[in-house]
Amino acid sequence: MKINILKYIAPVAILAFVACNLSKEVDIELPEYERQPVVECYLEPGKPFRLLLTRSYSFFDPFGLDSSFFQNTLLQDAVVTISYNGQTDTLFNTFSFDPSPLKLFNYTGLNIVPATPGIDYQLNINLPDNEGNITGNTIMLPLVPIDSVVVEFSPDIDSIARALTYVTDDPAAKNYYRRLLHYNSLDSIPEQDFLADDRILTTTKLAFGTGYELREGDTVYNTVCHITKDYYDYYESVQLAVFGNINPFAQPSPIKSNVTGSGNPLGIFTCLVYERDTAIVKR
Amino acid sequence: MKYFLSFFFLCCALLLSAQNTATVSGTIRDAQNGETLIGATVEAVGLGKGNISNEYGFFSFTLPEGNDSVSLRFSYIGYQTSYRKIKPVGPIKLNVSLRSEDNVIEEVVIKANSLEEKMKSTEMSVTTISTKEAKLLPALLGEVDIIKILQLKPGITAGSEGTTGIFVRGGGADQNLIVLDEAVVYNANHLFGFFSTFNSDAVKDVKVYKGGFPAQYGGRLSSVIDVRMKEGNNQEFSGSGGLGLIASRLTLEGPIQKDKSSFIVSGRRTYADLITRGINKSNENTPDYNPIPDYYFYDLNTKVNFTLSEKDRLYLSGYFGRDVFKFKDETFNFLFDWGNTTGTARWNHVFGPKLFANTTFTYSDYRYRIRNILQGFSFSLGSNVNDVNTKVDFYYQPSNNHTVRFGANATYHDFVVGRLKAGSDDGEVKFEAGQTFDGMEYGLYANDEWAVTDRFKLSYGARISAWQNNPSFYARFEPRAAANFAINNKWSVKGSYTRMNQYVHLLASSGLSLPTDIWYPSTEGIKPEISDQVAIGTSYLLGDNLLITWEAWYKWLQNQLDFKDGAEVFGNSNLEDELTIGRGYAFSPLELEIEKKEGKLTGWIGYTLAWTKRSDFPDINRGEEFLPRFDTRHNLSIVALWNLSKRWQITATWVYTSGYVAWLPSGRFSFQDIPGGQTQALVPIYGDRNTYRYPAYMRADLGVVWKWKGKYTENDLTLSVYNATDRRNPYFIYINAETVETPLGDRPTRIYAEQVSLFPILPSITWNFKF
Repeated sequence: MKINILKYIAPVAILAFVACNLSKEVDIELPEYERQPVVECYLEPGKPFRLLLTRSYSFFDPFGLDSSFFQNTLLQDAVVTISYNGQTDTLFNTFSFDPSPLKLFNYTGLNIVPATPGIDYQLNINLPDNEGNITGNTIMLPLVPIDSVVVEFSPDIDSIARALTYVTDDPAAKNYYRRLLHYNSLDSIPEQDFLADDRILTTTKLAFGTGYELREGDTVYNTVCHITKDYYDYYESVQLAVFGNINPFAQPSPIKSNVTGSGNPLGIFTCLVYERDTAIVKR
Repeated sequence: MKYFLSFFFLCCALLLSAQNTATVSGTIRDAQNGETLIGATVEAVGLGKGNISNEYGFFSFTLPEGNDSVSLRFSYIGYQTSYRKIKPVGPIKLNVSLRSEDNVIEEVVIKANSLEEKMKSTEMSVTTISTKEAKLLPALLGEVDIIKILQLKPGITAGSEGTTGIFVRGGGADQNLIVLDEAVVYNANHLFGFFSTFNSDAVKDVKVYKGGFPAQYGGRLSSVIDVRMKEGNNQEFSGSGGLGLIASRLTLEGPIQKDKSSFIVSGRRTYADLITRGINKSNENTPDYNPIPDYYFYDLNTKVNFTLSEKDRLYLSGYFGRDVFKFKDETFNFLFDWGNTTGTARWNHVFGPKLFANTTFTYSDYRYRIRNILQGFSFSLGSNVNDVNTKVDFYYQPSNNHTVRFGANATYHDFVVGRLKAGSDDGEVKFEAGQTFDGMEYGLYANDEWAVTDRFKLSYGARISAWQNNPSFYARFEPRAAANFAINNKWSVKGSYTRMNQYVHLLASSGLSLPTDIWYPSTEGIKPEISDQVAIGTSYLLGDNLLITWEAWYKWLQNQLDFKDGAEVFGNSNLEDELTIGRGYAFSPLELEIEKKEGKLTGWIGYTLAWTKRSDFPDINRGEEFLPRFDTRHNLSIVALWNLSKRWQITATWVYTSGYVAWLPSGRFSFQDIPGGQTQALVPIYGDRNTYRYPAYMRADLGVVWKWKGKYTENDLTLSVYNATDRRNPYFIYINAETVETPLGDRPTRIYAEQVSLFPILPSITWNFKF
């Protein structure tokens, strides 16, 4: 279980500084940085093999919304393969997307990711122009289903309710989870998004709750992802890097990638196994 | 061990060495309130014999026996000099009270020689601040803080603006032994470090050793901060207090039995929560109103002392302080509190004119607790460390040439590290984590301060320290040596070497002090931290009252601890896995202080040029060297107190620091995330640690003190202007972005660096009173 008390204090503090005119834009020089390839590949059972391969930037490199910026961001013309169960699938350099919520990919395979737990996957990318290679490994985990979602109305104010989501943890294995909670739309910013593990869980039940903040008719999307340790470390380091930038009390973290190779990459290659429950708040 | 025993026997031999001498001993006190005076001078006029009072006000020295009377001069800075005539025959006991300069109607020229004593002493790297001095200086929001005054001394940096962080000569925040009446204070901070736990009304003075540590001190690598509480007025009942912007104080003291016993009770509390509660109450029916959390802190200091007999004195003192942060709404029922408790029982016994003993029992406790209770579920997290310590210190003056100190101590430590309990009330969901440890720490020391000749003084000694925490056991030898050679009456050169061991460690997840930082013991895997420090220096007395001190030092640090990147600090039953161990060093070719303690204008100028590095941490910076956050190259501070008249004083401080270092990102990437996750268009990529240095920090503070006498009270109004030039100093810099909304979420269009400052110009006024 990851606990971050200061996460809630920092945004308020920054707002206060801005309100008191205590912040100003300054010119600073950051250390030299050489762009790196960035891999983002989630193998989702039942979906095609697909991957987003981009390049990082120096921090102050200009942003853009035009096509040239995206062209400069996307890393094209690489040779991408994923091997599993003795077969190798090639992911072609074609553009695809999932409409809702919108996700983009610039490498897509022809086959569908099998749902069988325990399959090992190997990623291999040969970068164009002899820029080196990228490799990675991951394993398909079993689904951890949501046992139940219980909606409880407040004993004090009967118009507000909370939702408690229960899952059963396998005590024989070290398990890592990512919990996402959305109200009313999956395209919205998650109300809750955190990592959890069963390291200190002494029972087999795991519960994720909301505060008494729901009203009758609200739709609650509960997502519980069963994730690998690599993904847990990667996502945590991403959060710490983002958070470390805005919070003077926080220690930032370098990105903990699970892809390596002569191409000096960053990123994550992992399977994505999750259950999503949709509940409508009613009495 | 063999050398230590030889040394100890040498000390014992010295016991027998003095003959045909008269020993003068006693205690020097403030005449008005009976407080013992530390560092007061007693001198036999024309004979060049004398001594200074120790930390308990006790002095002892010998004179050749004779029939001619001898005049003794007692002096202390800020007090009228007093003379006594004695006939030097046999043991002579003299308890002397000095009158404070404040009570003198006519102008009196004080010839106190504290700077001269400092120049001649083997002690180096030492600084003392009295509360009297601290109270005159401008303070943040008018809240006088003696720890923040220490940050104005050379060799000491704050680590961050406005906080009470103390980083001494390249040492970490946990490497300071902070003791209040000899009891360890584990977290000397309120309000996330913006105020210290030391209420200025209850504190007598603070002495800081930055190096050249006497053998009686051990257990921390970088400094000893010895805070002494007032004893209480044993002459008459009195009170003092103050009303400030953020807190109020009240102190009551008086005799229990005049001249024999006294008490002091001192309290302080902030009151912002009383205002925020009112605001919350008036808005409780406002839709979507987010209540302001309750926050307050308070301190309570108490002390009693009893003169049991001519030779025995008993002191009992205690401290209790808490910070409380509370919040309650539909989602949270949250309580976060933290604080220290200390207790001291001290027995001074005078065995004879040459031997004085101090036996002390102390108790220290620091704990934090976070609780959140919701319908059917609860969460609690806490850590604590507590100590029970017993020690005995002997002070022996066999002759004027030798002052011997020896003693021993044993401390039982008990640690609860990150105890977490969370789950449902029905027990169906349950999380538990945490570790408990205990350990015994031992110390045995002896030290002799030897005036080899009139010009050459040597202080040499050793401490044997040990730590037991089953199954680990460490025993360490810590040599200590210091020397002073007086080239003439105005100029001396000094040198010192000390080795220190530290058996308890503060695990801090950032460079700043937080209440949730965890104290952790040495174990099999976590070896004691070690430091070696050498220092050389010279002191020159310019005129009668300007002391110029230069020191250069080098410090080696071993077994330094840090968290690995992304460490799981909370809810972890095996915290050692998250730690990485390395080395460090710090050095300064120039640590300069110019002090003026007498006259209408007093104060000091301090300058330090220093380098601090950490290295060989396998999990940080690939094992390569890096700068810790508190490394600063140049530190300059100027402190001036101008005594315009008996009623008006003007004070000013000016600080320049060449900027702390920070870990800023060098690159960025976009993170699309999984379905339902939030796309992050800008994820910072952090490379090598702490490569960016903030712009220089500069601050000028001004203070005006106006004193007047009422019918029943003495009053002063203290106006403080913090950051008088309204300079926007960098507190931290973060990378911000201008964004536009797109179908892919908010996309940055421009990235820029934003500097956040903590304090603009902050005037404040405090009313202080005494009755």
